[in-house]
Amino acid sequence: MPTALSGAVASEIVKLRSLRSTWLTAAFAMAFGLALSIADVSHIASSWPRMAAADRAQFDPVGDSLSGFSFAVLAFGVLGVLAVSSEYTTGLIRFTLLATPRRGVAYTAKTLVVGSFALLLGQLAAFGSFFIGQAFLAKQHLQVSLTDPGVFRAVFCAGLYLFAVTMVGYGLGAVLRHTAGAIASLFALVYLGYGAAKAVEGWSYLPSKLMLSNAADTLAQIQPHPPRPERVPSLTFALLDLALYLTLAGVLGAWRFTRDA
Amino acid sequence: MGTVIRCEHLTKRFGRTTAVDDLTFDVHPGRVTGFLGPNGAGKSTTIRAVLGLDTPDAGRALVGGVAYRDLQQPLRHIGALLDAGAVHRGHTARAHLSALAAAAHIRRDRIDQVLALVGLTDVATRRTGTLSLGMKQRLGIATALLGDPPLLILDEPVNGLDPEGIRWIRTLMRTLAAEGRTVLVSSHLMSEMALTADHLLVIGRGRLLADVAMADFVPPGTSLEDAYLDLTATAVDYRTQPSQGTRP
Repeated sequence: MPTALSGAVASEIVKLRSLRSTWLTAAFAMAFGLALSIADVSHIASSWPRMAAADRAQFDPVGDSLSGFSFAVLAFGVLGVLAVSSEYTTGLIRFTLLATPRRGVAYTAKTLVVGSFALLLGQLAAFGSFFIGQAFLAKQHLQVSLTDPGVFRAVFCAGLYLFAVTMVGYGLGAVLRHTAGAIASLFALVYLGYGAAKAVEGWSYLPSKLMLSNAADTLAQIQPHPPRPERVPSLTFALLDLALYLTLAGVLGAWRFTRDA
Repeated sequence: MGTVIRCEHLTKRFGRTTAVDDLTFDVHPGRVTGFLGPNGAGKSTTIRAVLGLDTPDAGRALVGGVAYRDLQQPLRHIGALLDAGAVHRGHTARAHLSALAAAAHIRRDRIDQVLALVGLTDVATRRTGTLSLGMKQRLGIATALLGDPPLLILDEPVNGLDPEGIRWIRTLMRTLAAEGRTVLVSSHLMSEMALTADHLLVIGRGRLLADVAMADFVPPGTSLEDAYLDLTATAVDYRTQPSQGTRP
């Protein structure tokens, strides 16, 4: 049945699909993440025979096969930012709101479309990078299977993390309505926040546990063994982190989106 | 649904500035209504309030008796030409229209119709960032006509058009009004307005200065420009100072 929401969803699909920047950013995020991950696992595979025991202990067959995405994640966030901020910077938002004047409906449609795309892309990146990585690790018989304990969870959660950062970028884009400002804030939140939280670890490890990048360490590895275990949240805590960021991005974005453009 | 655009005591403030001040008027179907006023008079703010883009601080704006945000199929009811920049540079002309057609459940063959109507068929697959100002203006008009609406609001439609385009849009507006549609056009070009409009709404500093038939506004032997400048002489916010000469 044709409704305002179904029309708005169809409209958002056309808008996202028709932009070259969507596909360029997605392709860059995938290529960058895959290339770095492949570089990492191929180096591990080739140097494994002469690797020190301490270094071997740091090896994580899942986490290392996805390591490139700890940097490429920023491109995912940029994708989220652009999906909404470019409407404000170009003025297209006015036609979006003329076509779908109820702000809540327009925001719901956009969030559903961008969110679905981000989730798909994130899982594609995580599972793609995992399988490619295992092929490289197989040379030294270091590979694991999706059915091994914790493996599917780690790969799936890595995809969730990429999805979450995309949506954090989306929320920042909706709140700030400005591409450069939203990307700078995203960078600060994901990377600089890590350093800031580390600086206050003398008082509390809570800020570190709330950092997305630390949550990703827990989520995307089978057996996290970081140099400072206190810094890294438990699996449940890390999942709550993602939920917290997704909720904040969604709610703040909705609050701002429903204000006059 | 009715075809009258109505503002009732419409008031909109931005900080301490009152952009639109207790504005009341009706725009009727079957004629072209010119919407005039100096820069900063509140024309664009009024249009944004009618289109549900700005929330009024007091009063209300109604489209066929309904607030814009309560319209079920807004693009089928009222079409708007906003400034030509309100498109995404990365979208093709066709993608821009497709996105809006999808939102309004408008059949896809209507996209080709409006593209042909405004003469953009050949550039439909070009990204809008590469279009000239005149082509973007035509795309804006195609957007306004997409839902074949009985009401139209056109903000500075001749901006960037060549003489052939200006004559085309003039004829188009006259035709749309003759079909019984409601056409509200804002412009600063008095000579163009004199050729197009049947009725005038003049505002200054957010207040209504005149709501009058063209024939009654312009006395015989004078021009629309003279009548307009006389009326708005006290309501201009931005005016160049009389020359003091160049010598110290």
